[in-house]
Amino acid sequence: MDPFATLGIERRYDVDLGALERTHRELSRAIHPDRYVGSTAGEKREALTRAVEVNEAWRIVRNPLRRAEALLSLHGVAVGEDREPSPEPEFLLEILEQREALSEARGARDRRAVHRLADAVRTRSRHTERELSAGLATRPDASLVGTLGKLRFYQRFLDEVDAIEDELV
Amino acid sequence: MALLEIFDPKAPARPIGIDLGTTNSLVAHVANDRPVAIADCDSVVLLPSVVAYLPDGDVVVGRDAAELAAEHPRDTIVSVKRLMGRGADDPETRRLAPYEFVSPEPGQANAVRFRVAADRIVTPVEVSAEILRALKSRAEDELQSVGGAVITVPAYFDDAQRQATKDAARLAGLDVLRLLNEPTAAALAYGLEKNHRGTFAVYDLGGGTFDVTVLVLDDGVFQVKATGGDSQLGGDDMDRSIAHDLLDQVGLDPAAQTPQLVRRVLDEARRAKHDLTSCDGVHVDVADRGRVFLPRARFDVLIQPLLERTGAACRRALKDAGVTPQELDGVILVGGATRVPAVRRFVADLFQKEPLGDIDPDRVVALGAAVQADLLAGHGRRDDVLLLDVTPLSLGIEVGGGIVDKILPRYSTVPCAARATYTTREDHQTGFEIHVVQGERELVADNRSLARFTLRGIPPMAAGMARLEVKFQVDANGLLAVHAKETTTGIEQTVTVRPSYGLDDATIQRMLTDALDHGEEDLDRRRLAETRVEAGRILLATRRALEADADLLDEGQKETIRVACAALEQATRGEQPSQIHASIDALDKVTQAFAAHRMNRAMARAIGGRPVDAIERTVEHAKGIEAAHGPQPQGVV
Repeated sequence: MDPFATLGIERRYDVDLGALERTHRELSRAIHPDRYVGSTAGEKREALTRAVEVNEAWRIVRNPLRRAEALLSLHGVAVGEDREPSPEPEFLLEILEQREALSEARGARDRRAVHRLADAVRTRSRHTERELSAGLATRPDASLVGTLGKLRFYQRFLDEVDAIEDELV
Repeated sequence: MALLEIFDPKAPARPIGIDLGTTNSLVAHVANDRPVAIADCDSVVLLPSVVAYLPDGDVVVGRDAAELAAEHPRDTIVSVKRLMGRGADDPETRRLAPYEFVSPEPGQANAVRFRVAADRIVTPVEVSAEILRALKSRAEDELQSVGGAVITVPAYFDDAQRQATKDAARLAGLDVLRLLNEPTAAALAYGLEKNHRGTFAVYDLGGGTFDVTVLVLDDGVFQVKATGGDSQLGGDDMDRSIAHDLLDQVGLDPAAQTPQLVRRVLDEARRAKHDLTSCDGVHVDVADRGRVFLPRARFDVLIQPLLERTGAACRRALKDAGVTPQELDGVILVGGATRVPAVRRFVADLFQKEPLGDIDPDRVVALGAAVQADLLAGHGRRDDVLLLDVTPLSLGIEVGGGIVDKILPRYSTVPCAARATYTTREDHQTGFEIHVVQGERELVADNRSLARFTLRGIPPMAAGMARLEVKFQVDANGLLAVHAKETTTGIEQTVTVRPSYGLDDATIQRMLTDALDHGEEDLDRRRLAETRVEAGRILLATRRALEADADLLDEGQKETIRVACAALEQATRGEQPSQIHASIDALDKVTQAFAAHRMNRAMARAIGGRPVDAIERTVEHAKGIEAAHGPQPQGVV
C-alpha cells in the first residue's frame, strides 16, 4: 500500500505534520464508519476498509521511521530490521554508552539526567532524519538501509525513555 | 404481551445512550435536539448498579436491590463493573467484599462466577445484563420503541472488558450502535464543539474506575490525543479506606468480619463520604460497635494516596499528549466522586485551572452517549461532529524469550489495522502458538494476556522458512480481531479475541433464548420484526444514495438496483426472515460497486483543494483497493 497516495499527499520525506493532521481529519469526516451506521452493508464495509487504510497511512506517515521505510519500499528497496547491516563499531559504542547512562539515571530516579540523555539522542535522531531526507530525495536505494537502522536505534532509545518517564512521573 | 408493543412497527425506534456505571447507571435520549436523562416512574434518574438474586428465583435491580444488600450481602451484587472481563483468579476477587466466588470447572471459561440465592451461579456479564435490561425497559416505557444503543465504557477498558460489556448488552437484547469511551462522551455532552476549539482534559473518577483523557477539538472533530487511568480505582476505594479506618477505630479487624458487617460498614462509609461533601465532620455509628467522629480533614488524608494515583496518570496523559497544564483550555469533571471537595481542589491544583462542572457529573456521560446515539442514527443535524478515538494500550504478540512485539501501538486512531511477519524457530515446526497481549511493558508477564490460539497444519519446514503473517484489526468500538496466515502455504485462521474471559456466541444465544418467556417463538417474532426494520433502513439508505449520486451509474445499473429494491420491499411483506435476508443480500451484491464509487467520491471531495493530479492518484488508488478485494470483499472483522 502507498500511504502517501491514500492521504493524497506528495511522496516525500519532509512532511508538514499539521497539514497532515488536517487532511486526516477531512478524510475521516468523509469515511469514518460512524457516518455510515444507517447505510447499506456494502457502504459500511467500504467505509470500514477505507477508514482502516486512512488511519494506517496516517500512522505510518507521521512516524519518521515508518515514513522512511514506506518510501524505501515504494522505491523497491526491501526494508526491515533483519536486512539492516550490523551497526558500525563507533555507533554501537555510542549507543551502548547512552544506554548505560540511561539505565543509571533510571536507577537513581534522576529525571533531569533522563531528559538530558533524551535531548541528546533527539538531536542525533534529527540529524539522521535530515540525512535520510536528503538521501531519499536524491538516491532512494539500498545504501540508505544502514541510516534507517540508526534511526531505529534512536527511536527504540526514545521509546525506552518514554517508559522510564512514565515510571518516574 | 409486552414484546408486541416493543416491536410495534409504527412506533419509530429511538436511539438511546446508556452509562453503565460502577455505582449507578442511567439511560438518556435526545429530545428536541437536547439530551435528557430518562427517569423511572418515581422520577428518579440514577439506577443503582445493584442486582439482588432472591431465593424464589426473582431478580431485583436498583434501589430495591440496594436495600436487600445489608440483609443478603452474598446474593446482592454491587459494583459488578469492576469484575467485567476479569479472570476468576483476578486479585480484584480477593478484595474486601461479601461474595461467594466459584472457581471455574475444568473446561469452563476463566470468568468470575458468583454463587447466589437458590444455588444459582451467575457471571458479571449476566449481572450487567440485568442492569441494562432494567434501563431498556425504562426507556421503552418512555419512548415506546427503542432503537440502537450507545453504551459507554472507561477509555482505559481493555479488550476483554469491552467485549464483556458488549456481551452484556446483547444478552439484554440491545442493539449496540457503538461502545463509546466515557470521557469522549462527556466532552460531547458539554457541546464543546459549538463554540470551542482547543485542548481539553477530562478527569473521570467514577465508583470503580478512573480515567483521564486529553483531547483536541478542532472544527467539530474530537481527536483523542492521550488516555490513561486505572480501571480499578474509584469512589469505592474511598469507601473502603474509610471503612478500614472506622473498623480500626472501634478495634475490629477488617479482615475478620462477617459479610453482613462488612456491607454495613461500607454503606456507612459511603454515607459519611456523601455527608462530608457539605459538612466538616460526621458522627458514624460503626455497625453498633462504637461511635466515631470523622472530620473532613481526616477523610482528606485517608483518600490522599488514591488522589496521588490519579495525579500520576494525569501527568502521564499530559506528557503523552505533549501539552503542559497551562496549555489546556479546560478541564471537565465526570463521575460522582468528583463531588468530593478534596478531589476538586486536587484537580484545580494539578491542571492549574478551575474545572468545568456545570453538567451533573453523574449524568454527563449518559447525556453524551445519547448525543452520539442520535448522531449515529442520523437524526442529529450536526453533520460536522465526529469523534476520533484511539486504542488506549498497545497490542502485540509474544515472541521468543517472553518478549512482546508490539504490532499496533497505543494511541492509534480506530478503526485501524497493522501486520507483522514472523518465522519458525525450530525445524519441522507444524504449528504456531499465537499469544495476544495488551500493554506497554516489554515483558509478556507484565502485560494483560488477551488470548492464545494456535495456527496448525503447516507442513514441516526448516527453521526460518515459514512466513507467518499476523494482522490485528481494531474496529470503531475498540474491539480486536486477529488474523493469522502462513503465507507460503496459505493456511489461515481468524479469531475475534474473546476466549480468555468471555462467553462464546452459543452461550449468549442460549441465555438470550432462556431469558425470553416463551423461548423460540418470541425469538422468531422478534427476529422478523428486527429484520423488517433492517430492510426498511437499507431501502431508505439505497434510495438516498441513488438520489445523491445518480450520475455515477448508467441507466442499466440504476434499473438493476431498482429491481432489487422492489424485490426486497416485496419480501418484507412476507413472514419469512430468511427471505428478507436473501433479498437484502441480493441488493447488497448489486450495489457493491456503487458503494465503492460513492466512497471514492467522498474521499476525493475530502481532500479537495489539492492539485488535481493528487486527487486522481488517490481515486485511482482507492479503485485499486476495490479491485484487490474483488466484487465481494471478505469481511475480516
